[in-house]
Amino acid sequence: MNKWSAELTNLQFALLLAIPVLMFLVLVVAYPLGYAVWMSLHNIRFFGGYQATFIGLENFIAVLRSPQFWEATWITVHFTVKSVVLTMAIGLGLALALARPFPLRDVVRAIVILPWSVSLYGTGIIFLNASQGQTGIASALSYAFGFEQPVNFINEAWVIDVLAVANAWNLAPLVAVFLIANMSTIPSRLYDLASIDRLSALERFLYVTLPPIRFTLFVFTTIATVMSMKLLDLIFVLSRGGPGTSSTTLTFLIYKESFQNLDLGYGAAMSFYLLAGILGSTFLLYFLWGRREVA
Amino acid sequence: MFKRPIVSILAGVLLAPSIMGATALADDLSPTTSETVYFRGWQYRTDVVQENIQRYNETQEGNVDYATVTGDYPTLMETMLIAGDSLDIIYANPSSAVRYYEGGWLLPAAELSNAAEIEADMFPNIRDAWTHKGNLLGLSYFVTTRGVIHVNTEKYAAAGKSEADYPKSWDDLIDQVFELSEAGVETPFLPHWFNEFHGISWGFQFEVMNRGGQVADPQTHAPALSATEGAGFETLSDWKRLWNAKIVPEEVLTMNESAYLKAFSSGRYVFSPQQAYDLATFNDPEHSQIAGKVSFLPYDGQSWGMIDSAMYVMTKRDRSDGLTEDVKRMLSWYGYEDHEGEVAVGSRWLRESMLFSAYKSVMNSPEAEEKIKSALMNPDNHQKLLDVYAASPYPKGVWNVAWSEEFNSWLRDHLQNFLLKDRPVTDTIEEINEKIVSLNRKYGI
Repeated sequence: MNKWSAELTNLQFALLLAIPVLMFLVLVVAYPLGYAVWMSLHNIRFFGGYQATFIGLENFIAVLRSPQFWEATWITVHFTVKSVVLTMAIGLGLALALARPFPLRDVVRAIVILPWSVSLYGTGIIFLNASQGQTGIASALSYAFGFEQPVNFINEAWVIDVLAVANAWNLAPLVAVFLIANMSTIPSRLYDLASIDRLSALERFLYVTLPPIRFTLFVFTTIATVMSMKLLDLIFVLSRGGPGTSSTTLTFLIYKESFQNLDLGYGAAMSFYLLAGILGSTFLLYFLWGRREVA
Repeated sequence: MFKRPIVSILAGVLLAPSIMGATALADDLSPTTSETVYFRGWQYRTDVVQENIQRYNETQEGNVDYATVTGDYPTLMETMLIAGDSLDIIYANPSSAVRYYEGGWLLPAAELSNAAEIEADMFPNIRDAWTHKGNLLGLSYFVTTRGVIHVNTEKYAAAGKSEADYPKSWDDLIDQVFELSEAGVETPFLPHWFNEFHGISWGFQFEVMNRGGQVADPQTHAPALSATEGAGFETLSDWKRLWNAKIVPEEVLTMNESAYLKAFSSGRYVFSPQQAYDLATFNDPEHSQIAGKVSFLPYDGQSWGMIDSAMYVMTKRDRSDGLTEDVKRMLSWYGYEDHEGEVAVGSRWLRESMLFSAYKSVMNSPEAEEKIKSALMNPDNHQKLLDVYAASPYPKGVWNVAWSEEFNSWLRDHLQNFLLKDRPVTDTIEEINEKIVSLNRKYGI
């Protein structure tokens, strides 16, 4: 027993412990990923008898030649940027507002976290009803002020903004909760010292609050980016990619190609471009921001 | 003392054939195994469906499991069929049913032992619509006309118009919409442009057919629109005029069907193509702000809308012969005559929601006439509504083909972009034709 223990290095012991997890990951990640690679290299047909014909990289080339793909890519970037900025801004704002003590703080915190518990499907229905002319808040206000026309925000000009707000409404409370937890670890004496030094509110935020929460902000910016890029259910319920194709993101386009059109190979190839986009964004965030936080 | 037994025996002898007949019939529709039959549908009046299923289970000692599928129904169903999930009887529009058949996932209703009897009771045009490659695909869930032009008579009268002024064709209708707009009516028209697979794309298809054209050839499925003249060109030219004049609210492009119904029932619009059965909804004070004031444009030489329908179809999943027999019996009971020889489910849908049936025995009944009359603003228009229904075309060229669902989805985006991005009519029609050619190539047609 002693001899066996002595022969294992720390790394070997860690690897030994990790083997079950690694095997699990191989099963749940590698198999579907491998299957997706296989599909992307084949032309799969269900009609006239099931057929899968190897076509090499043709699907990948066809995706790059598709105007819909590039349009959807631009819409994805547009939506993701707005969504992440809103999520982080609202999350940080909520955290700053709820971190300090005030009466009924716990109750307010519980209420603020509630949107996170709503499914994206539910969020879509709420924002659809709140934003469309027929039932929307803006229409209600318009009628209340004596106007006769409904105000509709689910249109070509605003639909991405509505989606970004809806996504942020759902995700920001989670960001806020983690930031509040993070802020609670900041020693109160630092704020006392800041008061003695007569720092302004902005300076107090920049020099006392921000440094310890920057890593959390980086992590959640990354999470929000990934979640926004692969969002489907909210878009499906709220706009169905429309009007026209004005809110057809890459994920929504992949859904249409793969499941509505049953072009599984083409859809799989497109999903690898999305994966590359997600990984690229994550690495970019890491190199521009995360490396400094980790260091 | 002896009278009673004798009377009983006589009664027994006299009643025996009918009792035996009923029993035999009941036996024919009862399951032969204890296996479960999985019945799935979209979400509509689940209370009614649940009660119907319960009645089957109770009277026939059935084992039917009912649940609904929420979300993108045709797509979800298709993926479930491909995966070989536990599905036995499902709802399907004709276009979906044809696709399922072509995919090898559907057992046609022609396989039922009483298929000939059922087909004989169907209206020939509906039977023809639901027949693909010589096989009747399913049994009647509902039939209606989608695109009947509903008229808010109160608003119409306020604009100085009466029934005598009703438009007789799409050209007349669009002219009158502009006339009303110029006269100060802010929202004269709510077109069938909503954001579902059966919204704007079906709206285009029925308008083209009403104007005498076809989107695709009913036999060969080749593109049939001209980019410079004819029904498709006229339809899109009128759409562009309406859109550019800002007579139609952009909001309609993002409405789901429920919002589309609510929009018209709010009373803001004068004309709107809607389902024939929604006359009942719009004239019901519980669901409409214009109850009792909604009429429709009658048939006067030009059809309005098109046949819209749904079937109960059987899947072809891997299951025992006994269970397949149970599925057939259940389908026959549910989609045609029950153990008492009544088209009970079909008649109930007519009573509850004014869903028309494919069966003559249901539609020719006094009960049907009474129900339709009760849904109309003016009961005397009963025959006029049936005339609109009888004249409704069916888009066989784009529905009875495997690529129908894919085309409808593409066409929705394409037509919305045509309006939003102000794209030329000619280019749009050429792209529709090219899409049909590419789909025919993709599906080997």
